[in-house]
Amino acid sequence: MERIILDVDGAGDDILAILFALGAPGIALEGVTALTGAAGSVEQVTRVVLNTLTLARRDDVPVAAGAWRPIVGNDAKDMEAPVHFEKRLRTRFGDRLAGFNPPAPEPVRPPMARHAVDFIIDTIRSAPGEISVVATGPQTNVAMALRQAPDIAGLVKQFVVLGGCFRTPGNVTPVSEYNIWADPEAARIVLRSGAPVILVPLDICEDNRVAPSMLTRDDLADLAAGPRGPVIDHVIETFPIYIDIWREFFELVGFPLDDAIAVASVIRPDLFTMTQPYFVDVALSERLVRGQTVVHRGRQILDFGGPVTTRICEDLDGRGFMALFKGALQAVDKGRTQ
Amino acid sequence: MTPVPVLLDCDPGHDDAIALVMAHRSPAIDLLGVTIVCGNATLDRTTVNALRILEFIGATEVRVAAGCVSPLARELVLGTADGPSGLEGSPYLPEPKTKLDPRHAVEFLADHLRGATAPVTILATGPLTNIGFLLLKYPGLKPKIARIVLMGGAMYRRTEYITPTEFNIFCDPEAARVVLDSGLDVTMVGLDVTMHVIVEEPQFAELRKIDTPLGKVVLDWLKFYEKLHRGQMGVGGALHDPLALAVVIDPTLITTRDAHVAVDLTGSFTFGATVADYWNERGLGTNVHVASTVDSDRFFDMLYALLRD
Repeated sequence: MERIILDVDGAGDDILAILFALGAPGIALEGVTALTGAAGSVEQVTRVVLNTLTLARRDDVPVAAGAWRPIVGNDAKDMEAPVHFEKRLRTRFGDRLAGFNPPAPEPVRPPMARHAVDFIIDTIRSAPGEISVVATGPQTNVAMALRQAPDIAGLVKQFVVLGGCFRTPGNVTPVSEYNIWADPEAARIVLRSGAPVILVPLDICEDNRVAPSMLTRDDLADLAAGPRGPVIDHVIETFPIYIDIWREFFELVGFPLDDAIAVASVIRPDLFTMTQPYFVDVALSERLVRGQTVVHRGRQILDFGGPVTTRICEDLDGRGFMALFKGALQAVDKGRTQ
Repeated sequence: MTPVPVLLDCDPGHDDAIALVMAHRSPAIDLLGVTIVCGNATLDRTTVNALRILEFIGATEVRVAAGCVSPLARELVLGTADGPSGLEGSPYLPEPKTKLDPRHAVEFLADHLRGATAPVTILATGPLTNIGFLLLKYPGLKPKIARIVLMGGAMYRRTEYITPTEFNIFCDPEAARVVLDSGLDVTMVGLDVTMHVIVEEPQFAELRKIDTPLGKVVLDWLKFYEKLHRGQMGVGGALHDPLALAVVIDPTLITTRDAHVAVDLTGSFTFGATVADYWNERGLGTNVHVASTVDSDRFFDMLYALLRD
């Protein structure tokens, strides 16, 4: 069993990551922590997490709310860019957007009173060498945990960081991916912590080279034809618009499942091609390159010295992942009735 | 007059030490607790220093909690004004027997704020790491904070001290930005005023008259402290942190100007600089009361009185 904490910032694919983590074989989900990110405030994200767990009848999974802002962040105007982007979507997709990232209804239970940072610290300390933290949004919660309790770097099994890009162009600047860009100082703290890190970049999530890993209407048809339950029904109902947006707007083959892919890297590393460990750093300076992930490969004249601890995912068996993903969703529905 | 409830976050440090002594002795201050940050020395040293000082003055009832071992987003660069231990000059102070509070400083602060019946003043005399962390972690506690008075910053202009940066802000500029952008009532007591409360021969003469163990230790601290100041800047020891504490007791010691102050995070030579926009050219309004003048004589009168009584 891989014991994981899932740290999420969003709506769409984060829901699928939670469901995936609940249903995939070999995972013990210790808890879900939330933070402010691409899809809204930490309050909204926390509600989405709680509602998703209720849908899966897994109200036993602890949920803790965390960071409400990045450590430093970016210019207010730049931070609002995703909001303007949603306006552009609205113009283009009109009424079809009704089910996209809707306001979450009031959950049936509250999150735990403890801060996400404390939950992360206490969970890691209680099981040295066993906990993997999979953070699929900005790294703020994880970085704050490392700052408050530096000892957890030596106690965690690994940090999985979803973010960055090397071959695939960035989605905020030409070289920066959103999660890293949104809190570059936090990402840097995690990558420099000395703990083992698996980095899951855009290259193996939002690039048509890994098209078989993306959710398509064919996959929804497969799910519809198989055993049904409230979880599968919810996915079939909610995700067509996501697939349309990512096909028509981003010109990807389907809806990329970045967050679930990050979770899969813990239980099924065999589906991934990962590099040997490298020192990976984050550029902090200029607007143009802020948030760029820089891997120290080869030989250079200047020495930048940093921990050689990060394995970068370079390729993914998309078909294998999609089969695992669909099976996990079905398993959640099956578990619901037991 | 009801004493002002104060949480003191510091990195002792000679001038922090004097501020701590003043805070404990002033009837105008209700010292709820002390939290420690790294800066003038590493966290283990600043923590031991605080405990040593409190034990020496018999203030073992004051709870002390240790906080962050490094700035929010940078490697720690130690201050140079206080020697390697952070409190050179008083080797005869006892090793502390008092126990630290087991909580992290951020939790200690949060618990005190949650339990406070009236809003609390936070006085920060070190890098703003603990306070920035507190605001990042528990934004909901802001209404419990009456104001933040911080020793830090220097207006970015040519002065006789020709430095664009002040250590506390330079040490953790990211945390300083969190504090300045918090929307709270923030008063910045920076080098513009603290470099006008300097211990020279007339002040030493007054301090020598305080013939008590406390008077002696303060004098010893200041003698050590002066040496470094004299060598680096050609003046006696500036009482940065005691002035910030004095402002909590008597706000009329300084005059302030309101401005939007931003912290430079990226300049090669100016990161940590506090850049004030007095003309509102950035259109961001104001976020801090910047201390601009100080009544030095009245400050020293307060200092002598608090050490004497």
